[in-house]
Amino acid sequence: MDILQIPKASTKLFPVSMRDLVISTAIFTCAVEICSLLRFADSSDGFAYPVFVLAVLLISRLTTGYLFGSLASLLSVVCINYIFTYPYWVLNFTLTGYPITFLTMFTVSIITCTLTTKIKQHDRLRAESEKERMRADLLRSFSHDIRTPLTSIVGATSTLLETPDLSPAQQRVLLADAHDEAEWLIRVVENLLSITRIGDTHTQICKHEEAAEEVLSETVRKFRKRFPHISIKVNVPDGLLLVPMDPILIEQVLANLLENAVIHGETTSQIRLSPCQDGEYASFSVSDNGRGIPPDILPKLFDGTLPRSEISAADGKRNMGLGLSVCMAIIRAHDGTMEAHNLDTGAEFVFRLPLSGEERQE
Amino acid sequence: MNIREKVLIIEDEKSIAHFISTILSSNGYETIQARSGSEALSMVSSHCPDLVILDLGLPDMDGIEILQSIRSWSSLPVVVVSARSHELDKVSALDLGADDYLTKPFGTAELLARVRTAIRHTRTTSSNSEIAQRGTYTVGELTIDYNKHQVLKNGKNVKLTLSEFRIVALLGKHAGKVLTYDYIIKELWGPRASGNNQILRVNMANIRRKIEDNPAEPAYLFTEVGVGYRLAEDE
Repeated sequence: MDILQIPKASTKLFPVSMRDLVISTAIFTCAVEICSLLRFADSSDGFAYPVFVLAVLLISRLTTGYLFGSLASLLSVVCINYIFTYPYWVLNFTLTGYPITFLTMFTVSIITCTLTTKIKQHDRLRAESEKERMRADLLRSFSHDIRTPLTSIVGATSTLLETPDLSPAQQRVLLADAHDEAEWLIRVVENLLSITRIGDTHTQICKHEEAAEEVLSETVRKFRKRFPHISIKVNVPDGLLLVPMDPILIEQVLANLLENAVIHGETTSQIRLSPCQDGEYASFSVSDNGRGIPPDILPKLFDGTLPRSEISAADGKRNMGLGLSVCMAIIRAHDGTMEAHNLDTGAEFVFRLPLSGEERQE
Repeated sequence: MNIREKVLIIEDEKSIAHFISTILSSNGYETIQARSGSEALSMVSSHCPDLVILDLGLPDMDGIEILQSIRSWSSLPVVVVSARSHELDKVSALDLGADDYLTKPFGTAELLARVRTAIRHTRTTSSNSEIAQRGTYTVGELTIDYNKHQVLKNGKNVKLTLSEFRIVALLGKHAGKVLTYDYIIKELWGPRASGNNQILRVNMANIRRKIEDNPAEPAYLFTEVGVGYRLAEDE
């Protein structure tokens, strides 16, 4: 379920929407049709009442608020009275039991509407608490990922300050360690910034049409600086592929996927990056020739059930869960999808972003 | 001994000012430091530095105000250094006249490169000296010929359209500097051109396909995502 796409709860009791109108009209027409057909089979008129109760129930359940439910019950009563009760094609409000019919219909409608509203509220609350949980999990991952390098930095620098008789070589090792850890910390913080940039459910991310090749080449340029020994190939589509996105966030996704390919691929020496248009979507694939994703972890990659301990026990590396969670959150916020699978050698991650409206190809 | 370039570092964080100052002076620059906005403004006019490194988050005033105040009377190069990482902050600082923008945290190599580029641009009064003398600008295998309105790659004319040439020519005049989308659009299509950078995007994609060996890994035309474009500079 896409928890970042929760419809806003309607606070109005009688909201009007085109969708609800269509649903109500369709169900109501069905009810009238069924009754008309049943009249040929049974002349007692007893069928009309339950059929319309069912219609009112369905309309109340499937629409938002009380408006269409109450309207449907009102119309049903009129319909039963006018078309399906003797004398036919006459409105006769003096029939015995008429107030009872009306009251029942109305009660059914009100109760169902109330229940529906409650169910929707409940769904929303559950989705919110789900999101809250994800946020808390992310924060826990972040504090873990921040604390570990900080410990090494403080350790290395205080050793340098307090131990006067270290050899220059030893000093260099400690300094290099501290530097590496600080660089690591920078990337953790960049991921953290991405999360704050996505914001909460009610603010949309800021999407612009961006040229896929520009975002890719920027990411690759930065990646090259960091991992000069990895060969990376980028295929660019012949035409200009413009994709609506927040380019800074998508850069983060690409950077995380590239980094994972190197760090968790372990034996990775080559990475291939290819964007292409895939129907209504732009699809970006990052594939490597590393050792692939362990089969026991693969199904759990994206559902957030991957416990930290399992990751670190598996390969002693940090950040796998965190980097991917951030990717997922960003892709979700773009209404996109992401998947991963193993290749003959290595792994492939693919994410797709919708090309809303007409895409432009040169 | 030649005269060393004087760099004014406006930064309230002591440790950051310290490391910037150390790396610059060990690379042959003379450095002076200001800890607050008001101190900075008086030092700019009294010391006449060759370059200013400006932190936007100062205790007494917004760094942007200092930038505006300097720009009101001088074109001395200003490199903005800031922890604000949103690209809109970058764009607004560049549009207000900053020569370059470094987001914290940055490395020493990056800092030195930006400082060198910014100082070189003032020496040649903000347009390229090679262009002034010979009417051409060359970087790597790429030559922009301003007299013949041509761009040559390995000596061969790459046949740009007029707008494509004007974009490359503009980037060439400011080689090494990021030009914002807005700036390029206004320079090319006039101050009332729409802020939509679609046409620019399409033009850039075409230029890349004409001058780059692999448009996905450009060697000349760089994109600063969300900010603008930059043409490579000969180091």
